[in-house]
Amino acid sequence: MRDIWTVFRKEIYRVFSDKRLILSIFILPGLSIFLIYSLMGTFLGDMEEDLESHESVIYESNMPSALRSEINSEYSVEFHDATDVNREILEDNVLEGEYDLVILFEENFESKIANYETEEAPDLEIIFNEGEQNSTRAYNQVSAILNNYQQSIIQNRLDNPEDYLVYNLNAVQLVDEQNVLAEGIASLMPMLIIIFLFTGAMSIGPDAIAGEKERGTIATLLVRPIRRRSIALGKVASLSLLALLSALSSFVGIILSLPKLMQMDDNMPDVSIYTFQDYFAILLVLLTTVIFVVGLVSIISAYAKTIKEASMLIMPVYFLAIIVGMMNSFGADVNHEMWVHLIPIYGQINILAGVLTFDYTIANLLVTMASSLIYTLGFVILLNAMFNSEKIMFSR
Amino acid sequence: MESLRVENIRKTFNLSRKQRKLQNTDEKRKVAVDGLSFEAKPGEIYGLLGPNGAGKTTTLRCISTLISPDEGDITVNGMSVKNESINVRRDIAFLTTELKLDEHFTPNYLFDYFADLHGLDKATKQKRKAFFFKRFGIDRFAEVKVADLSSGMKQKTSLAIALVHDPGTVVFDEPTTGLDVLTAKTVTDYLVELRDLGKVVIISTHILSVVEKICDRVGIIVDGKIKISDTLDNVRKESKDGTLEGIFFDYMIEGGVADA
Repeated sequence: MRDIWTVFRKEIYRVFSDKRLILSIFILPGLSIFLIYSLMGTFLGDMEEDLESHESVIYESNMPSALRSEINSEYSVEFHDATDVNREILEDNVLEGEYDLVILFEENFESKIANYETEEAPDLEIIFNEGEQNSTRAYNQVSAILNNYQQSIIQNRLDNPEDYLVYNLNAVQLVDEQNVLAEGIASLMPMLIIIFLFTGAMSIGPDAIAGEKERGTIATLLVRPIRRRSIALGKVASLSLLALLSALSSFVGIILSLPKLMQMDDNMPDVSIYTFQDYFAILLVLLTTVIFVVGLVSIISAYAKTIKEASMLIMPVYFLAIIVGMMNSFGADVNHEMWVHLIPIYGQINILAGVLTFDYTIANLLVTMASSLIYTLGFVILLNAMFNSEKIMFSR
Repeated sequence: MESLRVENIRKTFNLSRKQRKLQNTDEKRKVAVDGLSFEAKPGEIYGLLGPNGAGKTTTLRCISTLISPDEGDITVNGMSVKNESINVRRDIAFLTTELKLDEHFTPNYLFDYFADLHGLDKATKQKRKAFFFKRFGIDRFAEVKVADLSSGMKQKTSLAIALVHDPGTVVFDEPTTGLDVLTAKTVTDYLVELRDLGKVVIISTHILSVVEKICDRVGIIVDGKIKISDTLDNVRKESKDGTLEGIFFDYMIEGGVADA
């Protein structure tokens, strides 16, 4: 135990006595996430604001005045007459984003509609640019009004419009704010937590193990009278703490940037929806997950000859973790099957999503934690064997 | 204090494709040490002399328990490196250019760290630190990071750290290679002091003058096999011209390592 503590202390001291490491492991991840996400939020907010305040430029010909008044009353629109404008010019301007919409009504549009029994249905052509948000938005707004316009005309043509009413739809929308917020948090947070834990472990694991091999300092350690198991445990324990702190930095960064990112008017999300038991469950899953991730990163680092090789070998595992994380995010249902909780990473993300959406059982939580601990124990045994292997420790 | 016995050890390594190409061989395994035996006694400095690639470092790494012999055994103070490796490590100091110091730390921190790994109590740790730091002049750079030290300073720090636990057996691989004259003298002088304290001291070197200057017994190793192991005087007597250099080159020529 004393040896594990000595190795643990040294690894912790190594990081905390180096300003550059403190900056790169604990400050930069959180700070960069905060800045990137806040900028993204600000950018999205500005874009939304621009869209809202934009006055649509619509070129029209022969538009019924009632329709024009309707559009004008609903939206901010600048109408121009397109009657004498060449069609190619109209299309070019829509493509270039100068005009948002062109609506070409056939001549005598209203009278043709009125005399529908003797005349053919008049033509109506709308030109818009799907690649321009302002144009698409103007199209959607005008389409909605045109639909209503068409409905009212159809009703006027019928003797008894009520006969065509099949039912009265009355949709009552109830919102459980707590669940909406929980679903929002759970759609992204478990995946982010796994990513942050991996990046935290990846930023220190290769240096602490493969780095020792590369620098030749591992031999200095191996000639001391301590069990290789103690070295393995000391390394895994210290790396777990450091990875957890690094992940915490990223976590703080994302929490602080959430109001900007989610356009919540600078209000923090109300995390009081979770009880002490929920937070405790999250903490337990985090702790068992971090040692699992660190164990995995340590095995790869011990196998690699250099830091560069270790980082390279960890990458596919990292990408796999991201893919697994994505499979279980963005509204995916929490899986309650017991065996699912035995799958590394997937099970952990699943139970995190379950806890965050108040949809988990204690049995599932315990199985996830127990499986993480068993996997980690396996990693430590393997790491011990690797530290005992001449071939792995001294291969060049 | 008992002696250090190397008994008929054999050690082979797998050769990677790259190594096979470099050594111009098709053999997948290389015999680094083959049936090697010798004994080093307390109060003596034993010099393992041989050209590069002869198996000196492999032998010393087996003694230090960094690697394990495939056959045979080594006993340090009566303890087998195969079965009691942790106890052997408690009683041995191993220093080689292969063992590096973590450049991020200071000599002061590293001394404490390795003293803790050896389970030294605080008072003993401070006493030994005071002694070594004064003896090797480490005091003046004790708080400087290893990365900023000269190679001589690093070697002195390595020496102090290797001896932190006052071991009975001291194993040094090429103790003076790459050092300036002054640091090399500090190291060899201290090895003589250790011998005078009754410790078992083994060094490996390809520098004849180092053996001539400090060794009491010498073993000449060529191609993983020990050719002769005796007192320095007796080894000299085996030579036609009565010199260590003479017999050393005789064995080199015999082994095809040097031209006649």
